[in-house]
Amino acid sequence: MFESMGWLLDIIVFFAVYLIVTLALNLQYGYTGIPNFGLALSVAVGAYTTGALAGRIGMWLCGIRDLDYIMYNAMITSMINNAIKVDPMKGLIIFTLTILTVIVVCAFIGFIASYPAIRLKADYLMMVLIAMAEAARIIGLNYTPLVGGTTWVSVPNIFIWIGDFASQFTIILTLIISILIFVFMQFIVSSPFGRLIKSIRENELTAECIGKDVVNVKIKIMMLGSAIAGIGGSLWSFYLGTVLAAAYTRTDWTFWPWLMAMIGGIGNNIGALVGVAAVIFIRRLIIYYKYSIEAYIPFSVVWLEQLLLGVALILVMIFRPQGLIPEKPKKIKRK
Amino acid sequence: MLPPALLKDAIVYANLLLMLTIGFTLTYLIAKIPNFAHGEFAGIGIYVSFTVVQIWKMNPYIAVPLAFIVSAIIGVIIYNGVLRTLKKFGGTLISLTISTLAMQIIISALINVYADYLYPIAGAYSRLFMFRHIDFEFMGQPGVLIVSSLLVFTLIIVLHLILTKTKFGISLRAVVEDSDLASVLGVNVEFACTISWALTGGLAGMAGALLPLWFQGHPYTGSMLLTSVFAASILGGISSIYGAMLGGYLIGLSEVFGTYFLAQTFGSQITAYRMLIPLIILCIVLLLAPRGLTGVIEDLQAKRISKKIVRMGG
Repeated sequence: MFESMGWLLDIIVFFAVYLIVTLALNLQYGYTGIPNFGLALSVAVGAYTTGALAGRIGMWLCGIRDLDYIMYNAMITSMINNAIKVDPMKGLIIFTLTILTVIVVCAFIGFIASYPAIRLKADYLMMVLIAMAEAARIIGLNYTPLVGGTTWVSVPNIFIWIGDFASQFTIILTLIISILIFVFMQFIVSSPFGRLIKSIRENELTAECIGKDVVNVKIKIMMLGSAIAGIGGSLWSFYLGTVLAAAYTRTDWTFWPWLMAMIGGIGNNIGALVGVAAVIFIRRLIIYYKYSIEAYIPFSVVWLEQLLLGVALILVMIFRPQGLIPEKPKKIKRK
Repeated sequence: MLPPALLKDAIVYANLLLMLTIGFTLTYLIAKIPNFAHGEFAGIGIYVSFTVVQIWKMNPYIAVPLAFIVSAIIGVIIYNGVLRTLKKFGGTLISLTISTLAMQIIISALINVYADYLYPIAGAYSRLFMFRHIDFEFMGQPGVLIVSSLLVFTLIIVLHLILTKTKFGISLRAVVEDSDLASVLGVNVEFACTISWALTGGLAGMAGALLPLWFQGHPYTGSMLLTSVFAASILGGISSIYGAMLGGYLIGLSEVFGTYFLAQTFGSQITAYRMLIPLIILCIVLLLAPRGLTGVIEDLQAKRISKKIVRMGG
């Protein structure tokens, strides 16, 4: 039964990971008004940390020494996988430690990115963040000890002890984490802190005048958003089982989440969810009808997808800038 | 002593970057947004050049004016078709910027489609190519070095003359200063904006057409240049065309020489990190002098004038 469900599972993991990343963007831009065009930075750092650490933690747990991690990567990963098959605890430790490190590292990256975010005007900020994301990719591509540069590194399969359904378990775990993050986000934005960040988005000066520490809040939001986007990148690498530095491009991890957030409706977590679902639906539709489409167009559907969604974004911004589900003012209970 | 090949590398690269930066700064001044699709104009130029050389089998320099025209048309389409419509429907600065990001994705997809389409026709590899071997030589120097230097030289003079001497240039500066006031005074703002977008696209396309004569051309070359263009524009102080010229040249030279000197010190593997140099300069400029070189110069002038006033008063 599970075999025929392959495409559905693929959609689910895609949905879950992009939901996490889009929620992070929605927190930063939709609720706080920081236009983070360097979203790929956090996602890439999350993925690179996973690639660099998961295997090394595994090596340490399994007592593998005197082997170069990058050079003998495939061998090391299969040794770790064999060890996890015998002792599932090791898989759990690898996963927990990696995710925790990703959160810490990405929060730190968010802290660095907040340095320009609290000082610069929006247009300068967008340029700096885009450049930072590009820089992260350049470092990942060239600093071989990290994730192997132009080759890739494997990530141990933490659910391999389950047997045939290991990848299904990874997907379910990813989905659960994304639901938890969604609930967490809903909790944050309906808390007093949520009202504070919205007030900063609406008018920074007013928020400052009533004694709120705007700088501090912006730093917190950048760190939180970055950590969440990093979790997305990390879960994506656990699902794929590999980390390829070149894959974390501006198109895939900055443009797509922006598109999803804008289509769904900014400043609104339900909107983010709808936007992710809509974009993934369109993408899947294109892939599903790939062969029948390719009979009519003389080029690869990869480019068709980019063309269509680029045009879609522009049309949405012209005709429905508030997105499919606009942000609603919060109801105030009367006493 | 610097090897002569490195010097040529630096000058050609700085020339191209200068052309790109002028356009980027011009659109920033006019539309008040960073144009993320700017690198793609260069990509268009690169493929115009490929078409001229590999399909039509003509001299690569014919591609330069042709690329200017094609990219200028695309620039006008972006401005009139997308940005103006978006503004009419009440687009904010952020949504305008996102639309340039969308334009970048669209144009990049079109360039890739075109590259795929050309591959069987040209009978040559259409994704990583270079025309350095078919370039002419003049007094032992490669043609692209001479042509791009002359082009930049003329460009600076012509642009300066247009901006200060002609009625159009003065009205363009008025639009940059305050577009509402300019339109009240009878300046055709939309016309000025359209022309400046055409100029922006055209200059970047020209840089793109010259690029494969010395460097490798690829559908993504344009967007890879974008970081350097940002850095150059901000280094020059994003509010000034003259600053953009200075910034473009300085970033171009420091990228090539910086990589060379770092490679001498740390070994050749460091050359791969070349793109980090403009980023580091960008960060330093934003930290120390956020208004760029123009800001520094203006501050110095203001200080001198205030000193003079004090002296006159005392």
